[in-house]
Amino acid sequence: MNYRKNNPNGGRLLVRAVAVTVAAGMVLTGCTSNRPKATANSGSTAAAAAGTTGASAPGKKVRIMFSGPVADHGFLAAINRFAKEQAAKYPDVTFTALEAAPDAPSQIAAVQTAIAEKPDALIIFPQDGDQLTGVGKAATAAGIPVINLDRRFNDQSAYRMFLAGDNYKVGFNAGNYIGQKLKGKSDAVIGEITGIATLALTRERSEGFKDALAIHGLKVTRQVNASFTVQSGQAAMANLLAAAPKLDAVFNHDDDQNIGSEAAAAQANRKEFFIVGTAASNTMLKHIKNGDARIEADVTFTPAIAATAVSMARLIAQGRSSDDLAGLPLPSNMLIDSELVTKENVAQYEKFGWD
Amino acid sequence: MTEGNLTTADGPANAAGPPLLQLKGIVKTFPGVRALDGVELEVLAGEVHCLLGQNGAGKSTLIKVLAGVHRPDSGSLLWHGEETSFSGPQAATKAGIATIYQELDLVDDLTVAENIFLGHEQSAAGFVRRGRMRAEAAAVLRRLGHGDIPVNRTVGRLPAAAKQIVSMGRALSHDAQLLVMDEPSAVLAHDEVANLFRVIRELTARGIAVVYISHRLEEIREIGDRVTVLKDGRTSAVNLPARTTRTDDLVTRMTGRTIEYVFPERTQRPEDAERVELAGRVDRAGSGASESTDERVPLLEVTGLTRPGEFVDVSLSVRAGEIVGIAGLVGSGRSELLETIYGARRSTSGEVRLNGRKLPPGQVSSAVRAGLGLAPEERKSQALVLEDRIYRNVTLATFARYAKAGMTRAGAERAASAEIADELALQPRGVDRPVKTLSGGNQQKVVLGRWLLNPASRAESPAGRSRRSAGTRLLLLDEPTRGVDVGARADLYRVIRRMADEGMGVLMVSSEVPEVLGLADRVVVMREGRVVREAPAGELNEETVLDLVMAGSLLEVDSP
Amino acid sequence: MTERVDVVTPPAEGAPDPGSHAGSPPPSGGFSVRRWFRDDASEPVRRNLGLIAVLIALYGIGAWSRPDIFLDLNRLWSNELTVLTLASSIGVVAIGMTFVIISGGIDLSVGALLALASVWATTLSTQSYGAVMMVFVALVVGTVAGLTNGFLIAYGRMAPFIATLATMVAARGLAQKISGKTTQVVDVKAITDIAQRKFLGLPWLVVMFLVVAALAWVLLNRTTFGRRSAAIGGNGEAARLAGISVRRTQVIIYGLSGLCCGLAALMVTAQANSGSSDHGNLYELQAIAAVIIGGTALAGGRGTIVGSVLGVLVFSQITNLFIVNNLSIEYQLIAQGAIIIAAVLIQQFRVGSLRRRPA
Repeated sequence: MNYRKNNPNGGRLLVRAVAVTVAAGMVLTGCTSNRPKATANSGSTAAAAAGTTGASAPGKKVRIMFSGPVADHGFLAAINRFAKEQAAKYPDVTFTALEAAPDAPSQIAAVQTAIAEKPDALIIFPQDGDQLTGVGKAATAAGIPVINLDRRFNDQSAYRMFLAGDNYKVGFNAGNYIGQKLKGKSDAVIGEITGIATLALTRERSEGFKDALAIHGLKVTRQVNASFTVQSGQAAMANLLAAAPKLDAVFNHDDDQNIGSEAAAAQANRKEFFIVGTAASNTMLKHIKNGDARIEADVTFTPAIAATAVSMARLIAQGRSSDDLAGLPLPSNMLIDSELVTKENVAQYEKFGWD
Repeated sequence: MTEGNLTTADGPANAAGPPLLQLKGIVKTFPGVRALDGVELEVLAGEVHCLLGQNGAGKSTLIKVLAGVHRPDSGSLLWHGEETSFSGPQAATKAGIATIYQELDLVDDLTVAENIFLGHEQSAAGFVRRGRMRAEAAAVLRRLGHGDIPVNRTVGRLPAAAKQIVSMGRALSHDAQLLVMDEPSAVLAHDEVANLFRVIRELTARGIAVVYISHRLEEIREIGDRVTVLKDGRTSAVNLPARTTRTDDLVTRMTGRTIEYVFPERTQRPEDAERVELAGRVDRAGSGASESTDERVPLLEVTGLTRPGEFVDVSLSVRAGEIVGIAGLVGSGRSELLETIYGARRSTSGEVRLNGRKLPPGQVSSAVRAGLGLAPEERKSQALVLEDRIYRNVTLATFARYAKAGMTRAGAERAASAEIADELALQPRGVDRPVKTLSGGNQQKVVLGRWLLNPASRAESPAGRSRRSAGTRLLLLDEPTRGVDVGARADLYRVIRRMADEGMGVLMVSSEVPEVLGLADRVVVMREGRVVREAPAGELNEETVLDLVMAGSLLEVDSP
Repeated sequence: MTERVDVVTPPAEGAPDPGSHAGSPPPSGGFSVRRWFRDDASEPVRRNLGLIAVLIALYGIGAWSRPDIFLDLNRLWSNELTVLTLASSIGVVAIGMTFVIISGGIDLSVGALLALASVWATTLSTQSYGAVMMVFVALVVGTVAGLTNGFLIAYGRMAPFIATLATMVAARGLAQKISGKTTQVVDVKAITDIAQRKFLGLPWLVVMFLVVAALAWVLLNRTTFGRRSAAIGGNGEAARLAGISVRRTQVIIYGLSGLCCGLAALMVTAQANSGSSDHGNLYELQAIAAVIIGGTALAGGRGTIVGSVLGVLVFSQITNLFIVNNLSIEYQLIAQGAIIIAAVLIQQFRVGSLRRRPA
């Protein structure tokens, strides 16, 4: 279950700097909400008036290929779906999703076949960033721009753009929310249910969480490892509740896990604490909206970055950039910021939900 | 063989210098048991020194001391006159002592050549030199007079006798000066034993000494030079002349009794069995006994039974109260025939009838329900759950009949087993210990006891008669005394005869012609999958049967 | 038959049986603790006592590291209920596995069968028929899949390792196909209630676990089916030649394991409030490990239900101990591996099987 494993080499600060500047990313993510045409009319009227350089305006016909891992989890299934849906919105894009690969060697083989077909851009969501770096380089060498999604290649020359969600901000936003809620309560008992402990993304989320809590003078009291599955989330919460007779807040690294965690809390009949989830699944968004569970807030880590990737790949293939970059080319590293979802703003995130 | 130890073949008595091997006062204890308690042994170069003793006398422990597996607690081992102690099996092998265990330690999936050089492969720079190994293996086998064994065949496909030769070839490949053979003839048919003896004679002629262990006294007289007798961990006699010592003398030293085989008296007219009074045993005969002793319908009737490649068109019959013996070589199809009658193998044609009712082919469970029982050849691997308790082994075929509504009744099973165990004089007493702790003869009694149990009588109680409980009416015995020592054999013979007297039919296979002739009422001789003769035991003698039985050479008999 | 002919030999050279040699009283004699400790027949009980000792040691560590939980009866009770509840589903699977391993087989598909049953029982359409249908579907799916294993092994003559490896992969895939890889949340209250209700202060899940264990104990030790299972594992050829229908028994054994998976799927579904193709992840390894440290011989023939239950509890207690002490997962994994090795080594020395196999 090592999806969403990315950014193994740290380099967080540099990435952060880029990420923060990328307003374009946000704008384009916003594009997925409506039909591209509507967005073009409403969002880029000025650019459209100035000429036909608007990012959504039709350009030359391009062929984009997409290679991802087998979707054995709701999040990955959503990645594939968002990519396909986004591509369908562009009349100038021919989109081909390669056969999903069950392991790195078969994904390497699939990408090699794709290179031979000379697409105008290639989106790779690698099984394993390190192992796929070689074919990333080969594609780049063959003149095909590569969009590296989510799990980073270990060599920057292997991609034109690296695009991923920001795991540090996932943890940081969650910590910040909990810190504000528990302000001044220095003896607060705060639990953390992580994903697979060995993954870089888990470490980054934990680090962000810890940093944010520290700002509010709080710290993680109990950390329990789960493994991104409902069942592991249930067991982790059950044990956590046994260990801590009273809790104030829990940060759960994954919304699937949180289905189990909520169940465990209900089974133990414990209501004294609230939960902050991660990745904004439909189930959890519904709970937040109805206020019928312990989850109060969620931090986004959305599979919709796949849609962004398609848009970016299209522009790169067409040799264009975003209007909002003031004539500069698209960035080479792009981290999509994580946002806080609460009952107040939950409505605007429902469209990114996944099952 | 490496040095000039080439004494002439005219007897070890002439050999000069110290004995090849001497054991003095060897003691070996295991927790709670003194397995060897001061054993003496002297082996001269070029002799066949026989080791005689009942199961448990300490023979196996002694062999393991020689092989370097066990280190004695006290006593000395002199090799070439020098005090030696082996740190392990490899050290013994290196010194020149090779051991061939009863259960040959060959790897079935490797070829003959690979087996011969197992553990000391000929290699150059880490690569096995196959060609050279094959050539040398062939040379070794030729030296044993068996250049006909193909060195590239996997050992699993060879007949037992050829495997024995391969084991000896392995010993020779180590330049062994002393060959220890643990019951080498147990798995061999008569002519194969003759072959083995020829090889042994050739070896001793070259100065190699052989320590030969066997239960068969006639073999010892034929091949042995001197005999050492073990009893209860001690040497009860050393260096007796093998040919001239009287049999009863040897048996006495082994057992304290004076006979070799005691066959129970034949019931003259087996059809009279039902009239034999057997106090306290009437119930066990089962209700079926009286019907089944009807002379006109044989208890078992086999007609035209065939399994291509194993046996062809076999017809025979067994009446209630009768023991029928099948004589034949290993590979003559006799064991396969037994298993086919039993349903463990499926016949291609022919039929088996019990009490006139046809048995479905290839269905053991129906055969057992109908009243057939089998004591298979390989007791440990085919008949017993070694780790399990004795009583659960006794009731392995019948526990369902003791059960009520699917619930087993351990108490009833235990009681019935204990009763049977008492009748069979199972030693030690008690049916709760694991069956693996019993000696071979007692393990065989457990298997026989399994078929002696007859819960049918219980089923006739007011509770009503169970449809399944026929009770055993016909017993199939495959080599019932294999690996069983002399004393226990007589015991088993009595048990088998008594089962027949009580109305059971017995169909028995044995490699030992005297056993078949001595125990059976009627004898069926098989050769190469066919019945070649059938006659009352009284009309045959050992020579006639051997003549009928023998044909072909070592390899022709068994090769596919 | 009066003479003592076949002189009883302390089980041949090199394998002395302490209980049988001359001098010791016959087994029917009075009870002796010393002899009991060396008797083969009491071996399973000794193994289980060893596991209980391990559990007590774990409580000792708990009392030392978290006295606030382990020395407070109320909190200890609620903590142990958590441990038992978390052990219940894997426990049910391990009980089915015990039969399989005792019969000389192995079932690698248990985790996947659990996932399949949980997913099948929680599809929107199944849920629309209500709780009874969901229970029925879970049990039937598990049983049918288990029977499939049995048929492949008994009649297809496949090695159990291979057959169940294949069904493991296929069942996981089918579960993903059915669920579309999404987590299927359960809206049927009667099902989620299973994980919340209590009976005499014990959670239903724990009660189910204990009832299954008790039934399995009877099945293994007191029925003809149990005897057949053990005989097949102890010596399959001997069982066959004694007239036991080996193949039919095998089919039933794997079906039973599948039924246990179906039941465990319900329990997990209730606990996690959802069905998912991720359920039962690595259950096969956990169940096998628990059964083995519970003293069941991997080669078959011998084993106890109580041992498997204790084995599951040991693992569950270790996990709990690490979490209440806020230690991360890596130590837990190391400890679990060490426990497996230690338990098996101790058993071998205690039983003396190392000592007894000189050649």
